[in-house]
Amino acid sequence: MARMKREEWFDIASDVDWTFKFVDREAVFPEWMSGKGKAPFEAWLSWDEPYKISYPEYVANQREKETAAFAVKSLLRRSKTFDQLDEGWKSVHKAHYGAVALIEFLAILSELRMARFGLAPKWRNVAVFGALDELRHTQLTLAFAHEHIKEDPQYDWAHKAYHTNEWGIVAARALFDGFMMNPNAVDIAIQLPFTFETGFTNMQFVALAADALESGDLNFANMISSIQTDEARHAQQGHPTLEILMKHDPDRAQWLVDKTFWLSARLFAILTGPAMDYYTPLAQRRHSYKEFMQEWIIEQYLRTITSYGLKKPWYWQEFVDGLDTWHHSLHLGVWFWRPTVWWKPQAGVSRAERRWLLSKYPDWEQHFGWIWDQLIENVNAGRIDKTLPETLPWLCNTCQLPIGTAASPSNEKYPIRSYQLEHDGYTYHFCSKPCRQIWWKDRDTQHMKTIVERLLTGEINPPTVEGILGYMGLTPDVMGDDAYKYRWAEEYREPPKQAAE
Amino acid sequence: MTEPQPRKLRTWSAFGDIKRVPSEYEIGTHGLNYTARKDRKAALESSPTTPVNLWLLTYRDKSPLSCDDWDGFRDPDQMTYRKYVELQAEQENMIEGVIEEYEAKSHDAHLSGEWVAFLGRALCPMRYPNHAIQMTQAYIGSIAASSYVIHAAAFAAADMLRRNTVVATRTRQLQKAWPDAGFGINERGTWETDPAWQPLRRAVETALVAYDWGEALTVVNLALRPAVDFLLLNALGEAADKAGDGLTWLLLSNLAGDSARNRRWSTALARYAIAQCSENRVALVRWLKHWQPRIDDAVAGLAELVASAPGAGATREVVVKRATQVRREALAEAGLS
Repeated sequence: MARMKREEWFDIASDVDWTFKFVDREAVFPEWMSGKGKAPFEAWLSWDEPYKISYPEYVANQREKETAAFAVKSLLRRSKTFDQLDEGWKSVHKAHYGAVALIEFLAILSELRMARFGLAPKWRNVAVFGALDELRHTQLTLAFAHEHIKEDPQYDWAHKAYHTNEWGIVAARALFDGFMMNPNAVDIAIQLPFTFETGFTNMQFVALAADALESGDLNFANMISSIQTDEARHAQQGHPTLEILMKHDPDRAQWLVDKTFWLSARLFAILTGPAMDYYTPLAQRRHSYKEFMQEWIIEQYLRTITSYGLKKPWYWQEFVDGLDTWHHSLHLGVWFWRPTVWWKPQAGVSRAERRWLLSKYPDWEQHFGWIWDQLIENVNAGRIDKTLPETLPWLCNTCQLPIGTAASPSNEKYPIRSYQLEHDGYTYHFCSKPCRQIWWKDRDTQHMKTIVERLLTGEINPPTVEGILGYMGLTPDVMGDDAYKYRWAEEYREPPKQAAE
Repeated sequence: MTEPQPRKLRTWSAFGDIKRVPSEYEIGTHGLNYTARKDRKAALESSPTTPVNLWLLTYRDKSPLSCDDWDGFRDPDQMTYRKYVELQAEQENMIEGVIEEYEAKSHDAHLSGEWVAFLGRALCPMRYPNHAIQMTQAYIGSIAASSYVIHAAAFAAADMLRRNTVVATRTRQLQKAWPDAGFGINERGTWETDPAWQPLRRAVETALVAYDWGEALTVVNLALRPAVDFLLLNALGEAADKAGDGLTWLLLSNLAGDSARNRRWSTALARYAIAQCSENRVALVRWLKHWQPRIDDAVAGLAELVASAPGAGATREVVVKRATQVRREALAEAGLS
C-alpha cells in the first residue's frame, strides 16, 4: 500500500492556528508586516489555495526538474553553442541575468515574509514552497550565468548589478523593493504573485524561451523554461488573497493592482522591449514586443482582473498607446547611453530591421527614424563621440526612467515633456501623469532621490561622465558598446539598392 | 570607443582575490542580499522611513548581533537547492517505505489503548509548536543580512513543513485505526489547555515576537530547538520504541536528522559571529539568560509529558537532565559553554 493520499491528511496539516494566550495577536501579525487592513483576522482564515501540493510531492517533482535542467547544462557545456551565439542575443542574456538573478533572490525574502506574516496557515505553508522555488531560481540563474564569466566579464553583473547604483538597476530596485519588500504580506501577495508573476513573469519567460530556442540558445531556453514551470504554483497566492481583499476593501485592491501594473510595464519596456525588437537577431524574431504584450498581457490580464470585479486601470489607453513608443524610446536611450549598461546594445536599425520595425510599428520612422539617421550619419563620419552622452537625462521621480521615454519627439498625444508637481517647495518631475499620480498617493514611500538629483546635490563626485560611471560601478571592461561594432551602419554609406526598399 | 582589455575573471568579482574555484554552493549563495550592501541610504530603494526600512534598520542593522562580513559564514552542510530536494526526496522515500511496511502489518490496530491515548496527548498536538517554529525560521530567513543564513533558514522552514506533514499523516493514520479516540479533533484543545504543553506554548508565542533577528536566532535555534527537538523527536521516539510503536519511532528518528542539520548551521553561525566580534558573545549570552527560565519551564513540561509515556521507564528528572545535557552540548558547539 502506498503512502496515503494527500487529501486524507492535508487539512490536519494546515489546522495549526490557535488562540494566543501569552502575546497579542496584533503583535504576532503586526499591521506593518501582515496588513490585514479592513478585513478582520477571521476573514483571512478562509484563505485557500486552489492548487495543492504536499512536501513529498514537491521534493520528488523538483528533484526530477533539477536533474533534467542540470543534465542539459552539463551536456551543452561541452558544445560550442555559446561561441556561435549572436552578440546581440548575448545581450539579451546579460540584461536578463543582471536584472533578474538577484530579484529571484529578493523573491525568497518576499515569500519568507508571507511564510511568517501571512494571515492563514495554508498561505504560510504555500509561501514556504514559494521560498524554495525562488531559491531554486536564484541558484539556477546564477549557475547558468556563471558559466560564461571566463569568456566575458559582463556576465559578472548577473551577481553584481544590484549591488551597484547603475541607473537601470536603481529603477529596478525602486520597482522591486517597492512591491516585493516594502509592503505588508497582503499587499505583497496582490502585487507580486497576482499582478507581476501571473502577468509579466510569463511575458519575460515565455517570450524569451521562444526567442532563445529560435536563436539556437538551448541552454538559456532550458533554464528559463524550467523556472517557468514553478511559477504557477506560488503565483496562486495572489488569487485567494485578492478574493478576500475584494470583499472587504476593493479600493485598496484596485490601487495595488493598478500601480503595480503601471510600474511593471514601465520597467518591462526597457527589460524586454529592446530584447525582443532590437537585440534578437531579425531572422529569429517571431513576434514583436507589442504583439506579445497584446497577447500575453493585455488580453489575459484584463480577463483576469475583471473576473475578480476589478476595473480596467484609469490609465489604460495611455498604457496601450505606449506600446508603440516606450520601448523604442528606451532602446534609443540605452544605445546612446551604452557605456552605462553592462551589456552591448544591438542597435537593431539596419535597413532590413527598419523595414521589420515599420511593419510592426507603422509610425516608427516618423517618431524614431530621423534620430537614428542622425546617429548613423555620425557613426559613418567617424564622429562616434557625437553618439555618446556627456551627461545624464532627467529622470522620473517615480519609475526612475528617463523623462521622455513615455513619449517621443513627434508624438502629438504624448510629446516629450516633464509632468511636474510642486510639493513642500520642491519641484518633482515625472515621465507621465500616472507616475505623478502614483508618487502623490504613495509619496511617503516613494520619496527618494533619482540619480540626477544625487548628481545635483553633490553625492556623485566628480560630477562628470567618468564620475557618474564610477558611481554606477561601471568599469571599462564591462561598459557597454555597440554589439556589432557599428558594422550595421556601413550599408547606409550607399543609398538603398531598390527604391521599393 | 577603444576596445577594453577584458579582465580575466574566473568567478563573481564579489569573491575578491580568491585563490580557489568557489563551490556550486558558494556560487549560488554568496553575497546575494543587496539590501544589506555597503554604501546605501537605506535597505530598500524607497524612502528611508518606510515601515519596512525602519524594521530592517531596527531589527537587523542595529541588532546587538552584528558583524562586518556575514558573508564569510558557511553552512557546514553547504546546502543548495539541488542538494536539498535530492536529500529530502530520498528521506521521503524512506518515510514512504516505513509507512508501507507498517501499514501492511496493520500496525496501529495492535497498539495498546493506553499508548494510543498517549500519542493523542504527546505526538499529534506538536503540529502547533512545529508551525510556530516554522514561522520563526521563515522570519530569520526574511530578515538575516547574509544570503548564507537566509538560505539555511529557508530550508529550515521547509524542514518544519516536512515535520508537520509527517505528524499530520501519522495523525490521520491513527484517526483511521482508532476513530473514536479524538485524533484530528482534540489536538488544539490539548495544546491550549494541557498543563504539560503550556510552558512550551508560552515560549513559542513569545519567540514569535522576538523580532531582533539575533534574538530570534538565539532563542529558537540555539536555546529552544536543541532541547525541544530532543524531547519531541528523540526522547518521544525512544518511548515509542519501548512501547512497541516502531512506526512512530522510525518517523521521529528520521525527522531528527533535519533537526541535527539545523543545529549544525545555527551553532556554526554563533561560533562565526563570536569569532568575528567578541561583543557578539555578550549579546548571545544576555539573550540566553533572559530566555532561560521560559525554556527551562518548557523543557520541564515536555519532560513530564515524555516521562508519562506508558512503560517509559524514565522519570521526569532523568528526562530533564538529558534534555539539559543536550542543550549544554548545543551551546558548547555554539562556543557558548
